[in-house]
Amino acid sequence: MKTRYILLFLSSFMLFSCTKSFLDVPVQGGATTSSDPDLAMKLVTGSYNSLLQGDSWGSGDVHGFAFVSVTDIASDDADKGSTADDQKVPVGDIDDFNLTATNKFAETLWSGHYNAIGTINQALLALSTANIDATTKAKLIAEVKFLRGYLYFNMVRMYGDVPLVLRVPKDQQDANNDPAFQTRANKQIVYDTIIADLQFAANNLPLKSGYPIGHANKGAAESMLAKVYMYLQNWQKVYDLTEDVMMSKQYKLVDYSILWRQIGDNCVESIFEIETGSFNNSNLGTNNYTVSQGVRVGGKGGWSDLGWGFCNPSTDLINAYEAGDLRKDATIIKIDNSGNHTGTVLWDGFRVPSADSVQNLYYNYKAYTSATKETFANANDKDRPKNIKILRYAEVLLMNAEAAFHLGQDMNTPLTEVRTRAGLQPTTATLDAIWEERRVELAMEHDRFWDIVRQGRASQVMNAVGKHFVPGKNELLPIPTSQIQLSGGKLTQNPLYD
Amino acid sequence: MRKFIYIFILLISFVFQGLAQVRTISGTVTDTKDGSTLPGVNILIKGTTTGTVTDINGKYSLSVPGASTSLVFSFIGYKPLEIAVGDASVINAKLEVESQMLDEVVVVGYGVQKKSDITGATVKIKGDDLTRQPVLSATQAMQGKVSGVQIISSGSPGSAPQMRIRGTGTLLGGTHVLYVVDGVLTDDITNINTSDIVDMNILKDASSSAIYGSRGANGVIIITTKKGSSTGGKLKVNYNNNIGIRQASNLVKMASADEYKNYYQAATGTSLTGTNANTDWYKTILRNALEQNHNLSISGGNENTTYFFSGSYLNDEGIVLQNQFKRVTLRSNLDYKLSKIIKTGIQSSYANAVNENGFNNLDIDENGNIGGAFNDAYRAPPIIPSMVGDKYGNVSAFNGQVGNPVLDIKDNKVRVATNRLQGAGYLDISPFSFLNFHSSLGADLLFKQARQYNYKFLNDESTFNVAGGNQMNLQSFLANKYVQDFKWVWDNYFTFSKKFGKHDLKLMAGTTAEKFQEIWIYGSRKEVPADPNLWYLYNGVANSSQNDGRGDKWTRNSYMGRLNYNYNDLYLLTATMRRDGSSRFPLKNRWGTFPSVGLAWNISNENFMKSQHLFDILRIRGSWGVVGNDQISTDAFINTVVPNLAYPYGGSSSTATSGSQINQIKDPNIKWESTAEYDFALEFGMLNDRLTGEVNYYNKKVDNALINVNIPSTVGDADHLILTNVASIQNTGVEVMLNWKNKVNSNLTYSIGGNITLNKNKVIGLNGGEPILGGNIGAAQGFTTITDNNHAIGSFYVLKVLGVFQNDDEVLNYKDNKGNIIQPTAHAGDFKYWDKNSDGKIDDKDRDFAGSYQPKAYFGLNFTVNYKRWDFSMDIYGNVGNQVYNGKRAIRISGQDNIESALVYSRWNGKSNPSQSQPGANTGNLLASDYFVESGTFFRINNLTIGYTFTENLLKKVNISSLRIFATSQNLFIIKKYSGFTAELQGGPLDSGIELSSYPTTRTVAVGVNLNF
Repeated sequence: MKTRYILLFLSSFMLFSCTKSFLDVPVQGGATTSSDPDLAMKLVTGSYNSLLQGDSWGSGDVHGFAFVSVTDIASDDADKGSTADDQKVPVGDIDDFNLTATNKFAETLWSGHYNAIGTINQALLALSTANIDATTKAKLIAEVKFLRGYLYFNMVRMYGDVPLVLRVPKDQQDANNDPAFQTRANKQIVYDTIIADLQFAANNLPLKSGYPIGHANKGAAESMLAKVYMYLQNWQKVYDLTEDVMMSKQYKLVDYSILWRQIGDNCVESIFEIETGSFNNSNLGTNNYTVSQGVRVGGKGGWSDLGWGFCNPSTDLINAYEAGDLRKDATIIKIDNSGNHTGTVLWDGFRVPSADSVQNLYYNYKAYTSATKETFANANDKDRPKNIKILRYAEVLLMNAEAAFHLGQDMNTPLTEVRTRAGLQPTTATLDAIWEERRVELAMEHDRFWDIVRQGRASQVMNAVGKHFVPGKNELLPIPTSQIQLSGGKLTQNPLYD
Repeated sequence: MRKFIYIFILLISFVFQGLAQVRTISGTVTDTKDGSTLPGVNILIKGTTTGTVTDINGKYSLSVPGASTSLVFSFIGYKPLEIAVGDASVINAKLEVESQMLDEVVVVGYGVQKKSDITGATVKIKGDDLTRQPVLSATQAMQGKVSGVQIISSGSPGSAPQMRIRGTGTLLGGTHVLYVVDGVLTDDITNINTSDIVDMNILKDASSSAIYGSRGANGVIIITTKKGSSTGGKLKVNYNNNIGIRQASNLVKMASADEYKNYYQAATGTSLTGTNANTDWYKTILRNALEQNHNLSISGGNENTTYFFSGSYLNDEGIVLQNQFKRVTLRSNLDYKLSKIIKTGIQSSYANAVNENGFNNLDIDENGNIGGAFNDAYRAPPIIPSMVGDKYGNVSAFNGQVGNPVLDIKDNKVRVATNRLQGAGYLDISPFSFLNFHSSLGADLLFKQARQYNYKFLNDESTFNVAGGNQMNLQSFLANKYVQDFKWVWDNYFTFSKKFGKHDLKLMAGTTAEKFQEIWIYGSRKEVPADPNLWYLYNGVANSSQNDGRGDKWTRNSYMGRLNYNYNDLYLLTATMRRDGSSRFPLKNRWGTFPSVGLAWNISNENFMKSQHLFDILRIRGSWGVVGNDQISTDAFINTVVPNLAYPYGGSSSTATSGSQINQIKDPNIKWESTAEYDFALEFGMLNDRLTGEVNYYNKKVDNALINVNIPSTVGDADHLILTNVASIQNTGVEVMLNWKNKVNSNLTYSIGGNITLNKNKVIGLNGGEPILGGNIGAAQGFTTITDNNHAIGSFYVLKVLGVFQNDDEVLNYKDNKGNIIQPTAHAGDFKYWDKNSDGKIDDKDRDFAGSYQPKAYFGLNFTVNYKRWDFSMDIYGNVGNQVYNGKRAIRISGQDNIESALVYSRWNGKSNPSQSQPGANTGNLLASDYFVESGTFFRINNLTIGYTFTENLLKKVNISSLRIFATSQNLFIIKKYSGFTAELQGGPLDSGIELSSYPTTRTVAVGVNLNF
């Protein structure tokens, strides 16, 4: 009997053998802000990474197909391309200004930019407390502020007034309670922040030669700031800043045709570009940037094509080039439609079949990548990485010329420098000549639409090419309906969008 | 082997040979009710292991030592009977039929109960009923046998069927049913050999499953594996097998070359010439497959030790080229009585499974390309040859997008090998007759190794009959993924059980702790040579390497208790309580309480019922309980850093610098989904228990269901969604089970059973959660389902087809009230869609509800007949009122895609066929509409088996105690409305019932033996 009680006694212990800490199991594998001391540095690179977003039908787009659509396809430089029905919604609607507030690309550009801004704000928060020496820290802060300034610059150009989010919310409740997250700030206030961010970057970053390649630097910040002032028509600032960049002796023009090849990445003409490459032995680029603009099979078919065939250079653009302009053949892939079936041989020897096997007649050469003559982690992939030039020296020269025009300074020298490189003779500088030069120099480089809006002649230019552009409305994208609903109606819609 | 067994038997019989004075007793055993003789009745001398069995005429003869006191007669289905020996030399016994429905022992979770004491909705299925069918898992074999349990089968070898108990109760949480195998908690039982199962107890309602607390919401199935029995040291050997042929049971007939050319011309206006091939692509990728399953078990024991050993081998060739599933299992179940008060034992099993080129290799990332091949076989034009010599017909050179289906399968090899060790050891201490302490430690160890190899081939004439197209792979590719899971669970509980007069009291109280750990690692390289002996990463190009790996870890700790009170077998009360702690939840939500209570009244035991003879059993019961679903990812509540969001500062030929982002906002208050369920039931047995039945009503409400709530982009959350517990879902239903069985005479018995479940599923409140769009199948279709307030989860949400435009005038006349032409780009023969919101155009806002994948009712019918030595059974399964989305038809996206043969003829064709339901010849890219929504109602002969059992006399000569041979057929015949392959389509809660590239259901015809000696 005694053993029975002993057994009973012992077994009852087993009921209470678990300690409280048994349930304290940290999350496995996903670092938290407290478990990684190098986090602030990594978040800076993560901020750059957010520029690569290209999920145009999903979580967000910054430089993907949606970006291509609202900058080039919307402009008079390019047509939608591909087959007539392909992406009629949302791209066809953007092309012909039929878009509504539910346009998916208008929505993903909004969300992509705020994703990136959120990431940057997280980086700034982590940097503010990071244990890094003061000089390095100031440079890192300057880099991400440059990115934030650039992103908000895109935002005001796309949407006008936008919510000005400059901090990380503690949680969803915190964001709900702060009007900054829900209401649109006046464009002027947004511009003030852009200027402050870019000025901070210009003040704290070294020149290109004194700073690692691919990072934002002083020249990039000053050039971007000059462009912002150009949109604000503060010509003195534009002039001073571009002069500063020109005097820095960091940049010069190169052979135009190599700018969009790998050898042209970060070349001496480059001021700031979206960097792509490889990571973990696979491609790392902006989703769908190249594949969306790649040459598309059509007609008889029978070959393995390069992409979806969107964003075709328009005949209006083709006609804009003067005879002998070297930039034309570097910008446009012209499909052989002669009937001789010679095809089109590209710079790397790749032969595109003639028109009866291809969907469209013109494609964007600046989005072409070579599977054979360029290096990729995965050359098999049609969506190969492609650097996107955001600012290059030629544009600084043209901004300088335009500012010089308004200030009565020498506008011919910078304009001639640009034209000479293009194989053209000097011309008499006028505002129209500078604007036309901007068009062909920067064709298919995601500048044209905003540029004609800035010039105040969007309606005139668009109607000339037969687009249904409504003045007072189509200068801006609609604020996404979904975002208006989520704000509980606190976000207002842009004019004339229902 | 045989020799060894004989020697073994011989040795054992020596050991147990008695020496006492012996005399012989003989007699006949009969049934009390009809006096028929009972063959095969076990007779044991009490207190010994000596005994015999009655012969075919119910007679026995037994040598009995002088000291013997009594004989014990036992027979399955009858109450055991003990008769004192005295000095009689003839003892005739009359056995009484056991009231089968109520006196079975049911495993209820941390204990057992008599069926008659149960107050919740549980169903027990015996192992013997499951092994009849040539299927992999016990779950599949259950299909149609239990009301309230919907089982959606898959034809894919090695895959588990999907199970829904009493409707869908979650949107974004896990849907896995909890299996408890000998005390080990798991969600996958494909490692369990069905022949090893004694029984399965299905806990359907919340009051039954509440004892499993936060894990019970999707239902619980308790599986008990076989143990040896005290056979007096006699070795029992069982061998059973089945060998059969499988084939696809319903194929969709695609257009032949001529039909295709005809349709193509009608759709595109151009004619196709110069092609002679006429390929039936399904034929080229499907085959008749061999299936075999062998099981061998050895069991036995004496009063203190029993053992059960088994081994099995299952080989299931898929009906698709190169697909194969093989499984070997071993089991050892041992039980020891250490003393009068201490018992111990261990159940352990090992399973090795290899799945090659499967459709869905057990959720591991690396799948074969069977899905691609099915899709391509549907779309590939018949005018392209499958093979020309040893070259593949080049489908993509013609079609642009679709590859050659045969090459889709042959251009890769995927192999997933799983090794799993599962087992539990227990200790039972009963210091007093009324008190038992049970401790059980279970463990489950899983190793999974997946390997994928993609061959290198170009789109040139070394691979294809003509060059061109997109089907190619420029670099060979090898990937390996290893997963290791380890889980242990430790249960400790006391059971107190005592009768005080008419009051019968049983109490259980205990704790359980559980820990799970997972680690996986992945690696891949390119340019690995094609020789399988070189399929190691070492042989690939090092700078193409990729690797990854992660892990997971969680713990649970729980306290549980149960009270059973029985007053004079009239009034029954069960109350349970479980308190669950889980590391998966934030500190303040870590603990939850899950109560339940059940009441039953055995009306038939009341005095006033004694005089009636209609009902043998009549009882009503009602219960209520709360259970949870904690199948939520471990980091759902905590912000984690996303690593490796890199940036290549050096440009497009450079390698990126690694970076990180914090891009999620999470709900710090995540908790489990909780389900409260009421259940009311009436159970009865009538006409001497020939008719038994049960009617259940349930009402199950899920609160705190997880749903994504959209948040503004400005908050800085990358997917703009925050997972939180706000939605509510309701399932209500009625289940009816009826069984009739009758023994016509000693030669003929038969039974008819039927069950039906009516379930209604509804989202009652998204409560600010976004309606969830699901079932996005691409092409011009977009999403196809919506989960929204007041509708069933995952309801189809598509445009409504009003008819077909008969001519272009009808297009022009189809206007809104402002005079806008609603479908300006339409032509004669195109669908006319309903402009629901009257805005003059057709878009997503015109979509409307079009039914759901959830059946209104599902049912099973089971027939058995035993005539002399013949046995026959038939199981029917079906469901009614569910809808299926014909997704494969919907994603036809090019004029070059093939078309179903039937559509070539039924298409709208001007005046010669002015159809209002079928569009004219078209090049695909149709919008998502109710045209693709079809009835999923079907009715299927699930299993048909005929067997013959040989006589003992014949077998005795060869030392076999029983032998049955049988022929069986699985899924012999189906009646369905749906035009596709199968209406039984698995999927998540939000997007089930969509047929894209499903594995076709298979029909199996098999033969087998069941041998005991």
